[in-house]
This record gives sequence, C-alpha cells and structure tokens, in this order.
Amino acid sequence: MVWLSGGMFAIACLMILSLLAFVLWQGLWTLWPRTYSIYGRKDGTLVGGELYARASLDGKNTLYLRTGNYDVSNQHFAYVASSDLVGQTPWLAEDLWLVERKEWGNLYGFPKQLSWAQAAPEDFVRLVDQGMRETAKIDRELADAKNELKRIDHQIADARLGIRRVELAEKVDLQGAAETGLVEGLSPSARRAISNFVLRNGQADETMVELNDRIARIEAHRAERTVVFELPVIDPLGTISADWPELQAGRLTDPTELAELLGAIPNPSGLALSVQAMVQDSPSADSPSVDSLGDQRLMCSVTIPGEASRRLMLRRLEDGRTSVGAFREHSILLADMVRFFPTNRLGILQRLGVYASRWWEFLSGDPREAGMEGGFFPAIWGTVVMTIVMSLAVMPFGVLAALYMREYAKSGWLLSVIRISINNLAGVPSIVYGVFGLSFFCYIVGGYIDGGPIKAGFEPWPSAAWFSALGVLAIVGLIAFAVSIFSGQAEAKRSGMRTVLRWSAGLLWLLTLGLIVWLLIRSPHFHGFYEAQLPNPTFGKGCLLWAALTLSLLTLPVVIVATEEALSAVPNSLREGSYACGAGKWQTIHRIVLPYARPGIITGFILAMARGAGEVAPMMLVGAIPLATELPLDTEFPFLHGSRSFMHLGFQIYSLGFQSQNSEAAKPMVFTATLLLLSIVTILNQTAIWLRASLRKRFQTSQF
Amino acid sequence: MNRLKAIADGQTFESVIHQEVLDCEPVVSIRDFSLYYHRKQALYNITMPVVKGMVTALVGPSGCGKSTLLRSVNRMNDLIESVRIEGDMVLNGESIFAPSVDVIGLRKRMGMVFQKPNPFPMSIFENVVYPLRIDGERDKTILMQVCEQSLRGAALWEEVKDRLKESGLSLSGGQQQRLCIARAIASDPEVLLLDEPCSALDPIATGKIEDLIDRLRGEYSILIVTHNMQQASRISDHTAFMYLGRLVEMAETSTIFTRPRLSETEDYVTGRFG
Ligand SMILES: Nc1ncnc2c1ncn2[C@@H]1O[C@H](COP(=O)(O)OP(=O)(O)OP(=O)(O)O)[C@@H](O)[C@H]1O
Ligand SMILES: [Mg+2]
Repeated sequence: MVWLSGGMFAIACLMILSLLAFVLWQGLWTLWPRTYSIYGRKDGTLVGGELYARASLDGKNTLYLRTGNYDVSNQHFAYVASSDLVGQTPWLAEDLWLVERKEWGNLYGFPKQLSWAQAAPEDFVRLVDQGMRETAKIDRELADAKNELKRIDHQIADARLGIRRVELAEKVDLQGAAETGLVEGLSPSARRAISNFVLRNGQADETMVELNDRIARIEAHRAERTVVFELPVIDPLGTISADWPELQAGRLTDPTELAELLGAIPNPSGLALSVQAMVQDSPSADSPSVDSLGDQRLMCSVTIPGEASRRLMLRRLEDGRTSVGAFREHSILLADMVRFFPTNRLGILQRLGVYASRWWEFLSGDPREAGMEGGFFPAIWGTVVMTIVMSLAVMPFGVLAALYMREYAKSGWLLSVIRISINNLAGVPSIVYGVFGLSFFCYIVGGYIDGGPIKAGFEPWPSAAWFSALGVLAIVGLIAFAVSIFSGQAEAKRSGMRTVLRWSAGLLWLLTLGLIVWLLIRSPHFHGFYEAQLPNPTFGKGCLLWAALTLSLLTLPVVIVATEEALSAVPNSLREGSYACGAGKWQTIHRIVLPYARPGIITGFILAMARGAGEVAPMMLVGAIPLATELPLDTEFPFLHGSRSFMHLGFQIYSLGFQSQNSEAAKPMVFTATLLLLSIVTILNQTAIWLRASLRKRFQTSQF
Repeated sequence: MNRLKAIADGQTFESVIHQEVLDCEPVVSIRDFSLYYHRKQALYNITMPVVKGMVTALVGPSGCGKSTLLRSVNRMNDLIESVRIEGDMVLNGESIFAPSVDVIGLRKRMGMVFQKPNPFPMSIFENVVYPLRIDGERDKTILMQVCEQSLRGAALWEEVKDRLKESGLSLSGGQQQRLCIARAIASDPEVLLLDEPCSALDPIATGKIEDLIDRLRGEYSILIVTHNMQQASRISDHTAFMYLGRLVEMAETSTIFTRPRLSETEDYVTGRFG
C-alpha cells in the first residue's frame, strides 16, 4: 500500500513539475535572442533559421528552424531533414542582422545599403540607430495627427448623434436639413443641433484637409528611408568557368564572365572578390569550404566599382564549372523596423540586454501583427482592470451575504438549502456563466440600457395600464412598509404572531421588488439611454462591465464560502465576551468578528481574483476580443469605459494559439503569455497563502 | 442523601436559606426563577439573594446549572434561541426580565468573566477600554485613566504598564484572565459575575486571582461559580449549594463548611459525594 500511494504521489508530483517546467522553459526561452544558423542544402540552396528544436520525423533527424523573412519565403518555420544538408555545422555569419519589424515578422539578412546616406558597412549600426530615433519622432507626429483626425471624427459623430436625438424626440426627419443647412420652420432644438453640425462640419473640413496634408507629407517622408538587405536566399545567376583554387584565394582571373552574369558593368576589370568561409564540417581549417560530397562552396562578396558590393555564393559543380548564385536583395522601410542587432555577434551581456528589452516590450508594448509579435500590454491591462472591477462588484455582495447567513439568519432547513446551492454553484462549468452573461447581461440588461424594453425583447404596455400598475406598486410598497414596522414593534412574547408578521413583510417586499422590475421592463415611456446610437450597440454587447459582472457571479460562491468559513472560525467566546461588555450585535460584528475574520475574508477574496483572472471560457462570450484599439481604463474622460470590449490574457492565449491564421508562428508568444498568466495567478495565490499565515500568527494566543 | 434522591425523582423541594443571608442587603435577588432549554428544564424555581458588597459562591456538581444561573443574571442566555424562562430577577430594585428592559444597558451594569480567558485580538489598552469604546467614548485622557484604574484594580498594572500597545493575546494565561477582569470592571459594574475564573490556570495564577477577588470585596458585589471547595471557603462570604437545577442550601460560607443544616450539603462540601 505504501508503494502504491507513494507511487501515485510521485506520479502526481512528476506531472505537475513537468507541466511547470515545460511552460517555464518555453515561456522564458522564447524571447531569448538566438543565433541564426545557415545550412547548405544538397540542391545548392541555403536554408537558415534560429534553431528551435531537433526532432525525429519519420525516422529522419530533422531540424526545426524559425526561418523568418516571411515576406520572401512565405513561412515562419521550416522542418529540414539533416540528410538534405551538405554539412551539419551551421554557418554563423557574423555580419547578419536580425531585424524585428512592425509587419511580416523578423527579417534576417545582411545590410547592404541605406537610401538616405552613402556609408561604409561599419557605420550602418550607428546610422540606422540614429535613423530609427528620428523615425520614432516622426511616428509620434503621425500618431498625433491621426489622433487629431479621430477626435474630429468623434466630434462630427457627436453632432450627428445630436441631430438623431432631436429626430427621435420630435419624430421628424432632419436628414435633408442637415445636408442643406436650411433650418426654416424647425424647432429651436433642431435648429441648434443642425447649426452645431454644420459648424463642426465646416471646421472639420478645413482642419481635415490640413491634417491629411500633414499626414501625407509624413507618410511620404517615412517611405523615403529604406534599408536594403541581402537575405540568405540564393537566386542562381548562371555558371562561369573559373579556376576553383584561384577563386578560393580570392582571385578572379577572368572577370568578364562574372560581370556578364551580374548585368551590365562598365568596367569589369575592377571586380574584386573577398572570400568568407562557410563552415561545413571542414576537414581542415584552411580549406573551409570542402564538404563530404565533393560539393564545394564559397561565400564571397564582389566589389563592383562605383556600386555597393554584392554577396555571392560560388559552388563548384561536378563538371568543373562554377555556379554563381546571388543573395536576394530586399528593401524595407526604416519606419518598419522595431529593433535590430547582429544576432550572431552578440556577447552574453548584449544578449541579456536584448532579452530584457524584449520582455519590456512584451509587458508594456502594443501588439504587432495581430498579437503574434510585440507586446501584451493591452491584454494585461484588460485582465487587470476587469479583475479589479469584478472584485469591486463581488466583494460587498459576497461578504454581506455571508455575514447575513452566518450572523443574522436563523439556522434552519432554508438556510441549509441555500448554503448547499451556493456550494454547488461553485462547481457549475464556467461556460454556463458565459452563456448566462451573454443572454442576460448583454442582451437583456444591455439591450434595455441601449434601447429600452423593446430592444431587450419585452412588449411595453399601453400607457394607461402601466400607470395603474404603478399605482398598485405604490400601494403594495406602503403595505410592506407598514407591516415591517409593525412586526418590529410587536410584543416579543407572542412569538408566533411575530413570525407570521415577519414572513408576510418579507413576502410583501419581494412582491414590491418584483413589481418594480416588472414595471421597468414593461415601461412604454423609456427608450434607452443610447437610442440615438442604434443600431450600433453600446452596452448591448460583450463589454468590460458585463464581463466583470459575469465573473463576479462566478466567483461569488468562492467569496461567500471563504467568508463564512472565516466567520465561523471566530471563537464564540469572543462574541460572548463582547456581548457581556454590553456591545450590540453590529458593534460586536464590526469590532470583534470582522477584524478577526479579516485574513480569511481577504484570502477568499484573493482566491476569487485568481480564479477570475484565469477564467477564459465566459470571457469569449461576454467581452474579450483578440485585438482592441482602445483600453478599458485610460486617460480619456470618464476614464473607466464599461462599454468597451477589451483584450484578456487568457483569451489571448486561446485566440493566438488556435484562432489566428498562422498559429505556428504565434506558438512562442502563446507560451510566453501562458507563463505570464500562470505567474499572475500564482502570485495572487501565494499572496493569499502568505497573508493568511501572517495574519493568523497575529491572532494566535501565546497561552500557557 | 434521601433528599437528593427525592430531587432526582422530581419531587418538589424547599431550599434552605439561612436567616443570616436573608438579613443582608441584596444587590440581585433571584425570585422563583426557572429556565428551560427548549423542553428541558435546567433551573427549578430558584430563589436566592446575591448580597451587596460581598462574594457569593455557587457550588454544586457538574451540570447542576450554575453557569446557566450565572448567565441568566446578565441575560446572556438570550443569545440562545431555545431558552425560555419563568420568574424574575431584580437588580437593585429593577426587574431584569421585564419586557421593557434594555438588555444592552443591563449588561453594561454587570461585568462578566468566563472560564477560559477571552481577551479580544487587540491591544491591552483597547481590551480594557472596550466597554467605553462601544459607548463611543473618545477622550484619550478618560480612556487612559479608566485603563490604568481598571488594570490596577485587576492587579495587572505593574506588569503591563509599559506594553499597553501590545496585543492582549501576548500575555500569559493568568495575565489574560486578569485582563478580562480589568475589562469587566472598567465600566464600574454593580455586579461581577465570574464563571470558574481559575479553572484554566495554574496554582500561582489562581492565587493571584484569589487575592484579587479578596481585594475587590466590598467594592464590588461578586457572584462566582467554582468547583474548588477550598477556593470557595477561602474567598467567599456566602455559599450556595445547587443540585440538578435546584438550590439546596445557602448560608454564610463558614456555616456551610462547618455546620450546614442538611447532611447532603455536608457530604458534598467534604467531598464524600459528587
Ligand atoms: N445551550 C444549551 N442547550 C441545551 N442545554 C444546555 C445548554 N447549556 C447547558 N445546558 C444544560 O443545562 C444543564 C446545566 O448546564 P450548566 O452549564 O449550567 O451546568 P454547570 O453547573 O455550569 O456545569 P459545569 O460545572 O460542568 O460547568 C446541563 O444539563 C446542560 O446539559
Ligand atoms: Mg459551567
């Protein structure tokens, strides 16, 4: 038995540990800048990439490479069989740059030329750095201009909404008037709305022309600066008949043939070769290009008078001729570059620097390329804001409910039933809450807020019937009020009478509440707060508010159960001591019981937060979206935007990993995001445990 | 022994209260008081005085209703839902169980100390002034004054005067119990109710509490439950012997311990029974 249980224990530990180790490894490794390895293929081409893994596929040793250069090769990753390679040791080209771009992912290539400066390759780093700083400034200007444009758009939309409101209120059609600006015969409010619209439109036209001009200028300026790269992708140019040993030594005995291949070159005699070694399991150090197949390659750059030098790959063929291949040229916008570094030349410290800056971007930056690259800040922010709103909603509810159940309510079968239901609620699959949130909060409550009862799917009553129902409500409310006052004053001794009165007061209050709800959803006089925006929903869709409320429903049982537990852990002797001092019920609760139970309550609260932060399934339905342009909490009035959709870390993992058009490329990011989510949840849980321990210590008696 | 048997058989029974007790001025008089837990009767028609300015001890075998009687005096039994009472008690001429009585105000006129020390999880200072705090007292000087007075009254001042800010839970068991006594006398109560205050303490701490009770005599009227006959004989002026919810005999302590009127009492206090 000890072996069986011990073995199970070991297996459980192993599974948990391996899960953690896997996520940790993948998550931490993803952002580490790796070297870029270039291999020669037997068919004469090159294949390069960051080596992600070695695998065995169909019994063949296979390399799993992140190739980058998606715009050229149309792939992010490639499986390459070792047997297809001429050698197993990669060429780690020293002057190869890794460029992270705003679009198309990483580019790996050799910088060749800058469009805005004639410079030697040694100066490229400095110049590009400087250029990027300047572009960043221009980009900020561009963003400002675009924001300005958006603001004007908003203003016009507001003015248009103003007209729509008047239309709805006065049941008139103002479209024509808005277009012509003629306001004769219209009501004052309509005139005001239309003149406001016309004014805004006029102002906007001027500024917009100016802004669009500015934007066009900036865009043009951005388009001017490009960097030309030579990618490790070989385009065959043809063959030449040159003496291989001569070529190896960097001598070009007959340059005309090569000049012809390279295109019209006025002065072929000026061509000069400089040879670089491509390490290919070289049998000896001084003949670096020999490989086991007899296939021999040279990497060289040819200097062309009056032009930038070009990179070539020379390959000796079986028939003695030499095949010439050119590295493909590719030019990108400087403004597209995010970060660059010579990845194969970095020392460990520089590598750490890149790693740190990537993490920084990951934590604080905006997403690029549909979230596959760049930062997760909006997702983190969205998760945090949503969790905080959720806690604000669940906390008072949960604690007060638990307080009532534990301190005020008489114990009996009703209370037990309620307690059991709450416990069961904690086990309901979270997607159920999502469905409920969508159909109740988003469609019914949200629809009601947007467009009144009709939008929420209720038939409003005729006015007369509604008002008579209002009268009934008032009467029932008054009776309920009277009965509850009376039951409070009833003689203590006649307890049977008192119970009846209490129950009837409770039922009457319930009835009143029901009537209020009923009247609200049947009102013929309410058309929603956002009627003018319809058919665009404001609250009638998934958004931060509904997501937070759905999650607070989901975590309510956790809070209630934890709080109840904390309350029941308060020793009765303390309560008695307090009562014996002449304290009332509420005084005892708030001076003795709540402080004593606080650590437990806070623990439950944090556990609820951790549960809520990690929950994905309901989020998909009630408000999380893969890419949001606006944050749910920002510096724009009124700061917290409950009606906005938001990005969510957990949902991001799901949508990146399974929903994006290129989930292979997104995989590394998925792991990093997983690591982040896991750390957030772990930190929250750990805080809860730590808090509980430290506060519990404070209340421990050092008796005897 | 036959009387106790008669009690056990449920026969009615006249308590024996010596005249010397009835001659004193009572602070609380219990009048024909019965108490039921749900259907189960725990106290049967108890009539007895608690004498002003003196220490009255309640003794009797376990489960005879001593705590129940004590808790009835400040109506702590109201907190138990199923309790029903008959009869009444009178505190300095005012009824305790009349429907119009303000229970909270009533409890403020009494101090209670429990079997197990129950200091609140707050500082020593806050523990002592808790009864004033709930009355909304904020004046620092008054609070400090009351705190010192009560702690001196509970013979704890010298030990804790430098650590008033520390948690009340950091004290030893005996100190904690004296802290609870300080709390109980902070509101200057008319009666002090002690339910086996020493049963969780070692002999030295017990001795200190006994000294304390001795010092409080005269200033406060004390009703104390104890299982320890020596203790009862040492500290109390009057002793009441209870059995199965009835008061059997009550007299001056020396009388009870030397020449009680009933042989059953003698058997119990000399340890031949119970
Ligand atoms: N909350 C309660 N509910 C029901 N019955 C109770 C309750 N408290 C006490 N009793 C019963 O009332 C009787 C008297 O109990 P009480 O605690 O007053 O005895 P006691 O004399 O203080 O005993 P001890 O010396 O052991 O403390 C006992 O039979 C007990 O079972
Ligand atoms: Mg007892």
